[in-house]
Amino acid sequence: MADIIHHAAARGALEIRGLTKRYRVSGTPFTALQDIGLSVAPGEFVSIVGASGCGKSTLLRLIVGLERQFDGEILLDGRPVARPGLDRAIVFQEHRLFPWLTAEENVALGLLKSAHPTADKRRLVREHLELVGLGAFAKAYPSQLSGGMSQRVAIARALVARPRILLLDEPFGALDALTRSHLQAELLRIVRAEGITAILVTHDVEEALYLGDRVVVMHPRPGRIASVIPAGRLPLTEDGGPPGPGLGHDRADPAFVRLREAVLAELGAGHAPPPVRHAA
Amino acid sequence: MTNLELSRVAPESALHESALIAGNGRLDLPVEIDPKPLGALLRPALYALEALAFPLALLGLWTLSSRLGWLPAQILPAPDQVAATLAELAGNGDLWFHTSISLLRVVQGFALGGTLGLLLGIAMGLSPRVRRSVEPLFTALAQVPPLGWIPVLMLLVGIDEGLKLLIIAKAALIPVALNTHKGIRNVPDSLREVGAVLAFDRWATLTRIVLPAAVPSIFTGVRYGLTSAWLALVAVELLASSEGLGYLMVWGRQLFQLDMVIAAMLVVGLVGFALDWTLSRVERRLQRWELAGS
Amino acid sequence: MSTPDLAIAPSSRRLPAHLNGLVPVLVLLAGWEIASRSGLVDPKLLPSLLAVAGRAGRELVEGRLAVDVAASLARDIAGFAIGSLAGIVAGLALGLSRPADRLIGPSFNAVKQIAIFAWIPLISVWFGVGEAAKVAFIALAAFTPVAVNTWEGARAAPPKLMEVARVLEFGRWRSLRLVILPAALPAIFAGLHLGLINAWLATVGAEYFMTVGPGIGGLMTEGREHFHMDLVLLGVLLLGLIGLALNTLATRLEARALRWRHR
Repeated sequence: MADIIHHAAARGALEIRGLTKRYRVSGTPFTALQDIGLSVAPGEFVSIVGASGCGKSTLLRLIVGLERQFDGEILLDGRPVARPGLDRAIVFQEHRLFPWLTAEENVALGLLKSAHPTADKRRLVREHLELVGLGAFAKAYPSQLSGGMSQRVAIARALVARPRILLLDEPFGALDALTRSHLQAELLRIVRAEGITAILVTHDVEEALYLGDRVVVMHPRPGRIASVIPAGRLPLTEDGGPPGPGLGHDRADPAFVRLREAVLAELGAGHAPPPVRHAA
Repeated sequence: MTNLELSRVAPESALHESALIAGNGRLDLPVEIDPKPLGALLRPALYALEALAFPLALLGLWTLSSRLGWLPAQILPAPDQVAATLAELAGNGDLWFHTSISLLRVVQGFALGGTLGLLLGIAMGLSPRVRRSVEPLFTALAQVPPLGWIPVLMLLVGIDEGLKLLIIAKAALIPVALNTHKGIRNVPDSLREVGAVLAFDRWATLTRIVLPAAVPSIFTGVRYGLTSAWLALVAVELLASSEGLGYLMVWGRQLFQLDMVIAAMLVVGLVGFALDWTLSRVERRLQRWELAGS
Repeated sequence: MSTPDLAIAPSSRRLPAHLNGLVPVLVLLAGWEIASRSGLVDPKLLPSLLAVAGRAGRELVEGRLAVDVAASLARDIAGFAIGSLAGIVAGLALGLSRPADRLIGPSFNAVKQIAIFAWIPLISVWFGVGEAAKVAFIALAAFTPVAVNTWEGARAAPPKLMEVARVLEFGRWRSLRLVILPAALPAIFAGLHLGLINAWLATVGAEYFMTVGPGIGGLMTEGREHFHMDLVLLGVLLLGLIGLALNTLATRLEARALRWRHR
């Protein structure tokens, strides 16, 4: 596992300028994203929060290359993004494992289009399964795994080709609270171990603050960035033993709580005041 | 931990996240030993008895009615007579001769029609252009039941093997093509997107995503196709053949030997069942992944 | 092979997409007409379309065609009505009664393995070769899929809704009417649809094998015996059109009856 921890070179710098995405929904034009600008430094962890419909998932789909038509620029290490490629990886909300393949076969899919020799591929698959703590479950089918384990396999599949940037689209949204907090810590450890840039989309403010170096708050209709809140100075959690990689920000710290309230207030500002409810 | 061990624990005890983290990869998962009371052991035997009770009662009634002469033998021959005829046909090799000819025909026709149906279904599923240009013609031809083509083909190719092959092939082609097409079109977009993100080319997308995802539907088509091929075989043999199980029935009918007719019917049912059973076994093997969990 | 991009809609096509498929059909028909007219293929084997149309006109005027079609349809509907009704009753009995399911279910599953046409020799002995035998055979063909689907539908009443019924103390009859039957309805309709297709197949078969009396099958058999390919092709056309009409009707009725599923 030692040799997958060392590439902290200046790779994975993302630059988004003037990004606008319009759809046509049954004839009517609709602006999903308006004039998005965002720079993400190599190795940085950025969380994006926003109400549903603010275009945060669309933003990830654009970065990964699943949606291709847009105005503006998306640059990864200076090169424009045009189509999906192995330098960018994504973990969806649903694990999207292939049900007819075992865990290791699913992870190996990430290397299908890479040029490594077979023996290297096998080693990489094993290492990444171990990285996500599933070395013992290589031969299991997705239907034999719990939701959290399936999502770990999906993370291994995303990372196995050593992308420069990892995109996460509400990856823990479908999991129970306990599993979710376990996986959040795991994710941080894995991302730090790989030295990789990460962008996480979530609707959970606490998750965004726990994981992110910065938190981007988006507002809907049209989807736009409302503010960017630095969280990197927050104290780290202490329940995990000695400080080191894999420690998120301490949820109980007063600074954390204050920031959480600020982000929630910022989110609420994007909404019109709730209509007065009448009986019936 | 091997696959075997895993499958032993997987069904009931969900593999818990917490156990995983605590155990750090080395897990002592509980292996549940199913305590089987005596009743549970006897239950299959009981079900078998119940299942046999009804046909045995019918058989008794049938025997009784022929003993007491309620129905003349020309309408319903005695069961022991049917059994004797069956034994005789099996003994002198006639049964095997006719059955093997029928089987050969259905295998050939099914192989031809199934292969063409598979190719057509894949082409229609993958290419909107092929689908648009073939679908109306295909739908039109599919509307006519396989039997409808028999008189046309009789005039065009005569009543030899060619006729049987074409009718059986046509019967198999339609369901295989339809279900293959449907299976491919219904491949979830979510998996196609994974393929796109992992930079799959067209070939990888086809072999790693589209075909595996379509397998259940394709197999449904193959099973329908085989059933329908067997049905068409019986029909075409009844109409135009001088050997095969269908012919055996026509022959028995003409001689008013209903014992022979019923014997042949039993074999038709048995072969139909065996064909379907074999395919269902293959299907289960191919879809291990679906059965693995639940 | 990525997701279809909505923005790139093919707009430069000569024909609307749904008409494209008609091109091969028209080409085929034109080729047929030319091959037949030019003598490239023996017109006896492949009569021109006009010849088929002419035959249709003559048969219609002479009055036989209408009689044949009506006879086939009447048989089909009679057999289907009897078979599907019996199928629903049998399916409900098997699906609702545990003893019936365990006692008779396996036997039924065994008997349904016999390819439907294998019953023809036996039926022709029991019922003769007249109308009764044909209707009996068609009814048998419709019976099997209706019974199987009703059986499965009735057996698979959703446990969660059955619990609701128990909590609300519905009792047997109300559970049947308010939970089991509505839940089984999609399966029953699927069975009826299959039964309708099977019945039409059986109508053709019955008319081939038991050739007494008018019917489209008889018409085709006659055409074959006298080497009148135009008559045979007319028969094929009728079989296809009526089959299509029945199928479309069944799909429409099914969609209407099951509207609640899509709400």
